Amino acid sequence: MIRLVNVNKYFYRGDPREVHALKDVNLSIQSGEFTVITGPSGCGKTTLLNAIGVLDNVSEGEIWLEDREIAHLPATQKTDIRLNSIGFVFQAYNLVPVLTVEENIGFIMRLQGYSDEAIRIRVREVASILQIDQKLDSLPNFLSGGQQQRVAVARAVASKPKIILADEPTANLDSKNSTALMEMMKELNRKEGITILFSSHDEYVMKNARRTILLNDGAVVSS
Amino acid sequence: MFSLALKNIFFYKGRSLTTFLLTFVSVFLFIVYVAFMDGAHRSMLKNALDVYTGSLQIYHKEYREKGGYDYLIDDVSKPLGILARTKGLKAYASRLETYGIASSKKHSSAIMLTGVDFDKEAQLSELKKALKKGTYNSKGACVYMGETLAKRLHTDIGEKISFVGSAVDYSFVAELFDVCGIFKTGMYDFDSQSAFMNRRYFDSIFLSEGMATYIVAMADSLGENDKIAAHIADRLPPQLELYTWKTLMHSMVELMKMDSFFGYISMGLFFMVIFFVIMIYGFINVNARMKEFGVLRAIGVSDARVSALLFTEILLLTLAAMALAVPLGAYVAYYFQVHPIIIAGMSDMYKSYGVVSDRVPTLFDPVIIAWNSALVFGLNMLSILYPIRYVRSFTPVEEIHHV
Ligand SMILES: Nc1ncnc2c1ncn2[C@@H]1O[C@H](COP(=O)(O)OP(=O)(O)OP(=O)(O)O)[C@@H](O)[C@H]1O
Ligand SMILES: [Mg+2]
Repeated sequence: MIRLVNVNKYFYRGDPREVHALKDVNLSIQSGEFTVITGPSGCGKTTLLNAIGVLDNVSEGEIWLEDREIAHLPATQKTDIRLNSIGFVFQAYNLVPVLTVEENIGFIMRLQGYSDEAIRIRVREVASILQIDQKLDSLPNFLSGGQQQRVAVARAVASKPKIILADEPTANLDSKNSTALMEMMKELNRKEGITILFSSHDEYVMKNARRTILLNDGAVVSS
Repeated sequence: MFSLALKNIFFYKGRSLTTFLLTFVSVFLFIVYVAFMDGAHRSMLKNALDVYTGSLQIYHKEYREKGGYDYLIDDVSKPLGILARTKGLKAYASRLETYGIASSKKHSSAIMLTGVDFDKEAQLSELKKALKKGTYNSKGACVYMGETLAKRLHTDIGEKISFVGSAVDYSFVAELFDVCGIFKTGMYDFDSQSAFMNRRYFDSIFLSEGMATYIVAMADSLGENDKIAAHIADRLPPQLELYTWKTLMHSMVELMKMDSFFGYISMGLFFMVIFFVIMIYGFINVNARMKEFGVLRAIGVSDARVSALLFTEILLLTLAAMALAVPLGAYVAYYFQVHPIIIAGMSDMYKSYGVVSDRVPTLFDPVIIAWNSALVFGLNMLSILYPIRYVRSFTPVEEIHHV
């Protein structure tokens, strides 16, 4: 489903500060996988996820989503792919502060042009899976960290993307909340068949994944 | 996007309130300021034209360049007939100017003696209102002269002066006149050189029956003057030409243009400041929301939609401020048009232009108000362009990590 071919990423290329953040990364991720990317801090996990999510440009190499090379598309088409094929969950929840939980979860579907009714039904469905259906009318600032992170996951899931990319989704959560979130992500993976790729250095989280990709200093050590 | 914009406006209250208030104040001040400025100009001008000049004058061609009796209008009946058939004129009359030397027992002075129809001048100009002493509408060998001229000649009502000059056929004229009336307009040149005489007696001495140096007319409304002037000019015989106050009062028009120019410059500076303050607030706001924009763009909101969002926010704020400021400004402009402000001493300052009133009505003109509002509106819309560019200059990843 996703294929990276000889992907390289440099920051400050040609500058004394140059960082070679991804080194000849070759990877293939199948549809329906539940995979964790791990490795020491600064090894390139975030950079890799950003590259796959066409949030950031790569310096060299190709990234294929199904049968389309997406790393070198014009900006508007990248936006389109992010909107329609990929769901993001960031380390620090990143909800829209002025929108209620319900509006946040439905935001992407609204951009995609679904009807109000379809959005309402789907929002309630994912909210109940993620156990935030009591909080639909609240603003994000009034939620706990764990709740906010679940809203962020709900937002990513609601529009049924092909793949969800999550960068350390449990980093700001305590172990109880982390466990709960992982269980829910697993369930979404199983029930909705969504491919999930996330980064973490949490032992518990890694045990739960079906596949682990180990990065070190920008290179894939094992996968 | 619209409802998101609305929610952002209520969420980021500081920025919204600042933008709203600044826009409100600038639209309101602009409308009122321009109404006052234009109103002051309009009333000064109206005053000045009312005194003597009228809103348009008709001459024989070349008179204004060369002067003299060779370029008089030799038959006023035709142009007067055209004026009689023209709608929108308050009054009109012909005048004949001659120059000569007037002497009392003690002194002599060069004067301009003008033959006028006193009845018509009473409607057309302020000559009658300017009466200080004696009688205005005198018959026979009577002159009505400026106060300064009378002083210069050391003469007064009831005394006689002699006049030496020439009739329109260039024959010699030497006559004795009675001083029957003295006037004061406040315009120095006018009061120190002019004397008037009724047309019938004047024509018998200067052999000028049916002739005129020029014909003067006053339109009911200055706004219509150009239209009326064009209408008349189209119908004039080819040897005649028409001038409007814009040419006749050239120096005053220039003075007002200068004044307007500086008025707009100072307003312009004021707006520059407002513009930058609004822009800076917009910029600070956008900067604080960088992370939010990063997230929006990361989850698939296009750059165009982010721009539209920011644009909608400023649009709503501007429209809301203008919805209050425009009617309020227009009301103030209208109110002070109906109830003019009195600026003491203004008539003294502009005396040489013939301004005789201290009342300054504003000018309530919906078209000008619409233009001024559109200008502020445009500036506000421009103020968001830089913040939009700024947002778009980053990648979503950079924005999410923005501090
Ligand atoms: N915007 C950037 N500019 C310059 N260098 C960067 C930038 N982002 C990342 N890097 C560098 O690229 C390398 C990989 O960073 P990355 O954030 O991908 O690591 P990570 O594995 O996500 O680390 P962590 O576990 O701490 O989140 C690091 O050396 C980092 O300093
Ligand atoms: Mg990271």
